[in-house]
Amino acid sequence: MTAYQLSLVMLACISVITVSGVFTMTSLAGMFSLGQAAYMSICAYLTFVLARYLDWPIWFTAILGLLASGLVAFIISLPALKLRRDYFALLSVGFGEMVGAIVILLGKWTNAAVGFSKIPKVNGLVWIVLGITVLIVFMVRNLKYSRFGRMAIALKTDEIAARSFGINVYRLKVKIYVIASIIAGVGGICFGLRNRVIAPDSFDWSLSAEMQILLFFGGTNSLSGSAVSAASLKVLPELLKGVKLFGMELQDFKTIIYCVLIILIINFRTKGLMGEQEFSLAPIKKLAKKLNRQHKKEIAK
Amino acid sequence: MSIQLLISGISLGAVYALVAVGFAVVFSVMKFSNFAHGGMISACAYAAFYFQRAFTPPPPIYITILFSAAFGVLLSLVIDTIAYRRLRTKQSPNIYYFLASITMSILIVNFLTIFYGKNLYAFPPIFSSTTFHIGSIRFSSMDTLILLISLGILAILVFFIDKTRVGLAIRSVAINPQVSKLMGINPDVTIMTVFAIAGALAGISGVLLAMKLSVYPTLGSQMMIKGFVASVIGGLGSLSGAIIAAIFLGIFEIFLTFYLGSLSTPIVLFGAMLVFLAVRPSGIAGRFAQEKV
Repeated sequence: MTAYQLSLVMLACISVITVSGVFTMTSLAGMFSLGQAAYMSICAYLTFVLARYLDWPIWFTAILGLLASGLVAFIISLPALKLRRDYFALLSVGFGEMVGAIVILLGKWTNAAVGFSKIPKVNGLVWIVLGITVLIVFMVRNLKYSRFGRMAIALKTDEIAARSFGINVYRLKVKIYVIASIIAGVGGICFGLRNRVIAPDSFDWSLSAEMQILLFFGGTNSLSGSAVSAASLKVLPELLKGVKLFGMELQDFKTIIYCVLIILIINFRTKGLMGEQEFSLAPIKKLAKKLNRQHKKEIAK
Repeated sequence: MSIQLLISGISLGAVYALVAVGFAVVFSVMKFSNFAHGGMISACAYAAFYFQRAFTPPPPIYITILFSAAFGVLLSLVIDTIAYRRLRTKQSPNIYYFLASITMSILIVNFLTIFYGKNLYAFPPIFSSTTFHIGSIRFSSMDTLILLISLGILAILVFFIDKTRVGLAIRSVAINPQVSKLMGINPDVTIMTVFAIAGALAGISGVLLAMKLSVYPTLGSQMMIKGFVASVIGGLGSLSGAIIAAIFLGIFEIFLTFYLGSLSTPIVLFGAMLVFLAVRPSGIAGRFAQEKV
């Protein structure tokens, strides 16, 4: 594969990672946040800035970055998650703005709005990113089907009913928020490694909104659906490169196409493309069994 | 000096109040935060800018404001039709309204960016001199005009909601749509009225912001965040709470910017908001914000 195709694969993977982070939060626990990009930003900046200035190995600073974004999420969530869902969404927007402002304020190390570009090159990055993506999606899938995930879904459906079943709603929310933020942090590190430059502008609230859009497009309750939609919708604009319609570059219309798609989805298929369904291997297994049986019959004849 | 700061803070707060009230009026009836408001403000600012430039000599400012308000009403009704109406008939959960409104906001901003570029357009000046003096205090003519217009509009709006029959209908639909239907109120028409009011407010605040700052695609989204903060601190859905909170926010922001610089302002603002909401989660007024079991 050419370098361009490899970078497209990585783009799709990063999108899948971040969207599965949002999935844990929005689809499992029903929290709507517009600040997930801020955790990407925290984690990416910490990882690369520490690696550059303290000469620590990147895997070590990456762990530090993940811990830090988890810690920040924990601190923020303590007061924020006691509030209504609307307020929480607002606070997350404010939080994103605050993180952007802090990055610019620490411009001495982060190079402010110009962007931090002293990011080490990693060989065979695409395999690492692919591995991480598979791992994260598998993890979130397990989370969904675990006892923890079922508790979260109960919380999403009806908070008061969940509480009456003895679920500690507040603690559960805090845990899920921290997990989602750490996953967002992983996405942030991959983003930095792929682009080799990070700037405060690339992590503003429109990125967080884009994640939510991708999630809802694929289906709020379907992990595989949202992962597929995250990968395909993210790569789609790249395929439109160079295509011209009425004398205008179609790629410029990337976001408009997203928006029109999501408006159509919301109006005509509110649950998302996949709804509640998951892609599964069951039909393929059935087919294989059937073929196998036929094969045996033929041998027996 | 501090009186000077106070006055410009109040003027900034008055614009925030217009934005916040646009939010609050939709929230009180529909129970969702209308993020599309920011996009509408930007679109109205562009419309007003091109309207102002289309005539020589340019029309008087009140005609531009009226035009922009009418444009806002139209745009708001269009957004309601394409984004919210089907959700309403299907009685979808709140989160879909939320997503639809964010999408509409991003859609408008991108539309403006593609067709008009990211350039800043300066609104043609209306006053020959930008400042005037009363005693030793210097007033910015633009700020004063904006303050007067905002306060006037807000007074009209509060009167409209509190004293007229249509306002009564809006308040009753806000409390319970089903029961108000039994009382002979048409909730659909009332909701359209609410969107029309929000659109008119977006149009007016669009022109005022364009005159105060300049015209660019993300103008509305930036203001939207501030307006949203104000309407939450005021207690989502309460008009008077939103106005008070917006004015306080404006003053607070001007003082912070003066003493700390514009970079640390969002940090302190966020911290203050977090602390405030932790102490008093239902906002200043806190009437509508209670969730019923």
